[in-house]
Amino acid sequence: MEIAIPDIPTRLRTGFNAGLQTAWKLVKYVVPLYLLVELLKGTGLLDTLGTLFAPTMALFGLPGETALAFLAAGLLNLYAALAILVPLQLEPWQVTQCGLMMGIAHNLLLEGGVLRSTGTRAGLLTLARILLAIFAGLLYRGLHSMGIF
Amino acid sequence: MEAVGLALLGALKLSLKLVVIVVPLVMAFEVLRYLPFFRRAARLSNPLMRGVGLSPAAAVPLFTGIFLGIAYGAGIIIRVAQEQQLDKRELFLMGLFLATCHAVVEDTLIFVVIGGDGVAMLGLRLLLACGLTALLAHWWKHPRTIDAKPDRLQP
Repeated sequence: MEIAIPDIPTRLRTGFNAGLQTAWKLVKYVVPLYLLVELLKGTGLLDTLGTLFAPTMALFGLPGETALAFLAAGLLNLYAALAILVPLQLEPWQVTQCGLMMGIAHNLLLEGGVLRSTGTRAGLLTLARILLAIFAGLLYRGLHSMGIF
Repeated sequence: MEAVGLALLGALKLSLKLVVIVVPLVMAFEVLRYLPFFRRAARLSNPLMRGVGLSPAAAVPLFTGIFLGIAYGAGIIIRVAQEQQLDKRELFLMGLFLATCHAVVEDTLIFVVIGGDGVAMLGLRLLLACGLTALLAHWWKHPRTIDAKPDRLQP
């Protein structure tokens, strides 16, 4: 696959533009979601949601409120999840836990579509991602409680 | 009203932090991507590739996906799949690896920004993706073994 190689200034410009495009995409999610969570914290709705999901999220050593971030990660992307996580003020190892699990399973609808377009079995792959994220979460929780990481 | 102002300030601070990371990262990649590094990395990783059941033909799309992400890498994956006759098995194995482990630099960095441990996130993710793909590659070669443990594929 030999492609003509552009010069450095062109590459810098392409990179800058692509970077700004990504940055804009992320600001679009981060600002409204961050605002939403900050304001929901005052209403008690977040607490209700947190109590509801507390038993499930406790398996991974996370507070129930993080369920909302996982939902955002799965349906939208990691930036949306990040915007929800930051106002929750987690411990560092809990941030790592979220980063690990969400890093494996995120943006499932869009990326599932992309995987399908390569001609492979996207549904099975998406299922594998979710299961692996759960496994990774349990594993990291275990390693953390053993004092590793 | 004050609460809204504070929340907005927090949101903008987080946005700025992310922009400061993402823009230089994408620029750096755009400058470096034409270096022979990727090809050399692909050659060095040959034994590892064989371990997860992939041929050298899968190296370029695999590495593009690992560093750039699926959405960005899909164009290359589709082209290589057609040009270099990756069979269904190899395409699925590559898909499995990439589905669980892609865009690792950016994904990891944004969580490091908010206080995560980059080594733990990246290390465990790579380890699990390699392990899962290698396991499946192993089973797929021996159909009888697949029958013995179908629960791992269709839980």
